[in-house]
Amino acid sequence: MDGANLTRGDALRVESISKAFGGLKVFHDVNFTMPAGGLLGVIGPNGAGKTTMINIISGRLPPSSGRVMLGDTRVDSQPVYSNAGRGLVRSFQQTATFNDNSIEDNLLSAIRFSGKDRSVLERLAVLLEKFGLVENWRRDANLLPYGLQKMLGLTMALATEPRMLLLDEPAAGLEKSERGNIDDYIAFAQTEFNCGVLLVEHDMDLIKRLCPQVIVLDGGKLIAEGAPGEVLARKDVIDAYLGGSDEEDDHAQHS
Amino acid sequence: MSNATVSRLLERRSPFFSGYEWVTLALVLATFAVPFLTVNPQIMSQTNLILIAATAALGVYIMLRMDLMSFAVPSFMAIGGYTVAILSIRLGITDVFVLAAAAFIVPALLAIPLGWLILRLKGVYFVLVTFVLTEIVQLLLFEAAPLTGGANGLVGMPAVKIFGFELWDNSHVLLTTAGLAFTGFLITAIFTRRYRYEFAAIEKNDVLAESLGLACWKYKALAFAVAAGVSGLAGFALVNMLMTAHPTSFAPMSSVNYITYTIVGGKASILGTLVGAILLVSATDYFALSGELSPGLYGLLIIVVTLVAKGGVIGMLTKTVQRLRGRNGGGLTNPKPALAEGKS
Amino acid sequence: MEGFIATGLIGISLGSQYTLLALGFTLIFGILGVVNFAHGGFYVMGGYVAYYCSAVLGLPYVVALLIALAATFVLGWLFEVLILERVIDDHQATLMVTMGFYLVLATGILVIFGAESPEFSFPISGVWRVGDVYFPYANMVVLGACLAAIVFVFWLVYRTNVGRSLRAMAEDRTVASALGMPTKILFPFAFALATGLAGLTGALVTPILALAPHVGDPVLAFSFLTVILGGLGSVTGATIAAFIVGLIEAYAAVYLGGSKGALTLFVLVLVILVIRPQGLMGKEVRRA
Repeated sequence: MDGANLTRGDALRVESISKAFGGLKVFHDVNFTMPAGGLLGVIGPNGAGKTTMINIISGRLPPSSGRVMLGDTRVDSQPVYSNAGRGLVRSFQQTATFNDNSIEDNLLSAIRFSGKDRSVLERLAVLLEKFGLVENWRRDANLLPYGLQKMLGLTMALATEPRMLLLDEPAAGLEKSERGNIDDYIAFAQTEFNCGVLLVEHDMDLIKRLCPQVIVLDGGKLIAEGAPGEVLARKDVIDAYLGGSDEEDDHAQHS
Repeated sequence: MSNATVSRLLERRSPFFSGYEWVTLALVLATFAVPFLTVNPQIMSQTNLILIAATAALGVYIMLRMDLMSFAVPSFMAIGGYTVAILSIRLGITDVFVLAAAAFIVPALLAIPLGWLILRLKGVYFVLVTFVLTEIVQLLLFEAAPLTGGANGLVGMPAVKIFGFELWDNSHVLLTTAGLAFTGFLITAIFTRRYRYEFAAIEKNDVLAESLGLACWKYKALAFAVAAGVSGLAGFALVNMLMTAHPTSFAPMSSVNYITYTIVGGKASILGTLVGAILLVSATDYFALSGELSPGLYGLLIIVVTLVAKGGVIGMLTKTVQRLRGRNGGGLTNPKPALAEGKS
Repeated sequence: MEGFIATGLIGISLGSQYTLLALGFTLIFGILGVVNFAHGGFYVMGGYVAYYCSAVLGLPYVVALLIALAATFVLGWLFEVLILERVIDDHQATLMVTMGFYLVLATGILVIFGAESPEFSFPISGVWRVGDVYFPYANMVVLGACLAAIVFVFWLVYRTNVGRSLRAMAEDRTVASALGMPTKILFPFAFALATGLAGLTGALVTPILALAPHVGDPVLAFSFLTVILGGLGSVTGATIAAFIVGLIEAYAAVYLGGSKGALTLFVLVLVILVIRPQGLMGKEVRRA
């Protein structure tokens, strides 16, 4: 790792992505760009394909057509671990930790697998303390309360010193009182790690609070793009939310 | 508050080998003394059989680190055993070090392309394919007669030599087996501990591990190759004891025995595999008087362990010891890998 | 040409036997998510029960068949309820208990009946011939019975309420029980149906082939082959694959000789796994 000499990473460009499962079209010609170190919100009703989008960008699912570029590197259809090595790291909607291993073991695993140095823990110390992870340092991850497991998973992603974080509904399942942790987390990722953040989220307050820019997905298409206040006032966006009631399309990730 | 806190938290370091590895290696090492303590051929042959069974079962133990149940042990034992038989009978190579290296390397190398093929499959498919693989190898042993001697096998193996000295009598054979077994156990102990974090992560949540940057397939392929090599060493010990390489020594259903040793002994630690082999091979010997009952006994034990004693013999002992010591025993009583080191 | 046709008939007859075995195997996997290592054990048990009833007790062969079917059905039901259900969510544990049960079953048969093959032959002898094509009556009866059983299974799975429930359970266990399906009965029923089919196959086939305590081993291997080829959990795939396996085995035995037929099959399966890991008819599974 290049230590203190943190450059801004590369921009992430999603270029005319389409995806179909069998005959079922999940995406049709989706385009957007995220500047290096930026923060982009992704919203849309359930079933809009938000998790599938993260799966495609991270390399877990190949798109049917189109491509995803991180700077000059094509990242779609690449192994997930290679993309993680490039600093493109995702989090999971459900809790995702290594069960029967302590918080310490989980964090050290994240550091080890990303080939980073343990000194990153010192940089994370503020967060670890704030989230209450230090207090439970030796407890097994699966014995922690839900909110703490979720924050552990997010902190593990950060322990790999990412350049671009793909966050899949980080606030989902958190108590109202815990949601402030997400604000702190994202601010920390951006200031301390100069990291770009793609934030998929249902919590509109959170989106309005944090994101200067959002895109709206519905029925596999990008239907709107702009500042949250303005986008959320649009009639087609409101209709999409009122009409959409399908299940989220990807159940693949269990911890 | 911050910096000092985290550094202080990390002070504890877990040792490379846990108590289980030390006890296991010591037990295997102790078998070198058997030929010097007794001339009883019964004891010697029992020790021989136990060591071979335990070393072969290490192939199961290694793959279980990643929650993969492997039926491929007899295949790789056969490849290791036949490699040695061909080298010694056809080419006159009898140096024990050369033969041991070949018995490890040939199966390990063959396991790499096979692993590439098989390891893309998850869970159930992996199990089925390793099972099919043992059937294929068994058929190949019969069909490839020019190389393997077909149904006759390869008979009349010359005694192996160490530094030019012939290892020919019973006690020498036991010493050879003990050497091979110790090598197998040492390799397994080092390998599974060296990558314990990676294996634990793949076992618990491979999707997460991969998203953090771990190339899971590399570790699976490496483990499959090492498991094959260690099984190959057991194959060498087996043909060396019988002085014959024969297909029936590597019957597909024998894979069930190796799985049984590891599960009944306790799959969480390397000691479980050794203890399982000691108990079950001895029990087989004991019950041999009343016919071919051992598969039934194995089956019963597997069901009982699976239903009521998940940790096997070692798991139950560990629990008992923990209860007696009141939860805070270290070393031996802590089987799960403590991930206290970052990079090593 | 006549030899070619006769071999084809044998292949189809083998295929129908493999179908019965593979149907049960794939039903158990599809519905319960369990790889049943004990499948070969139920086949052997069916053979021995039929042997005992007809050769020792002197009952008519048809009655012996039904008793074999009932016995393996009941034992399968009991095994599911008493043992398998307790570990159903842990796929490794289900594998271990079915494997353990196979060993117990095979050893039990060995203890009761001895290691030697008993005298058990098909009650009908004689050969049907047209021109130079020969086909033993026994094989014809077995073929007919197997085909009838296959039709029954397809009817049950695709045309009845029970079958609809079973298929729903194969899709999603929790949803099915949430929808109020009687899973407490249907799971053991599915398992018992499959083991009963294995037992019936054993009772039909062992008088023609061979009966001994260990004949379940290759049955297990061939069931594996068939379901890998057809796609785990697919009923249609298993049926097609079983006939492919039967035909290849029959022709290879005649034209290649020895165990080369089996070897051909195994290699075919490996090739299939490379190019189409989900099998011929298996659904594409999203990468997880």
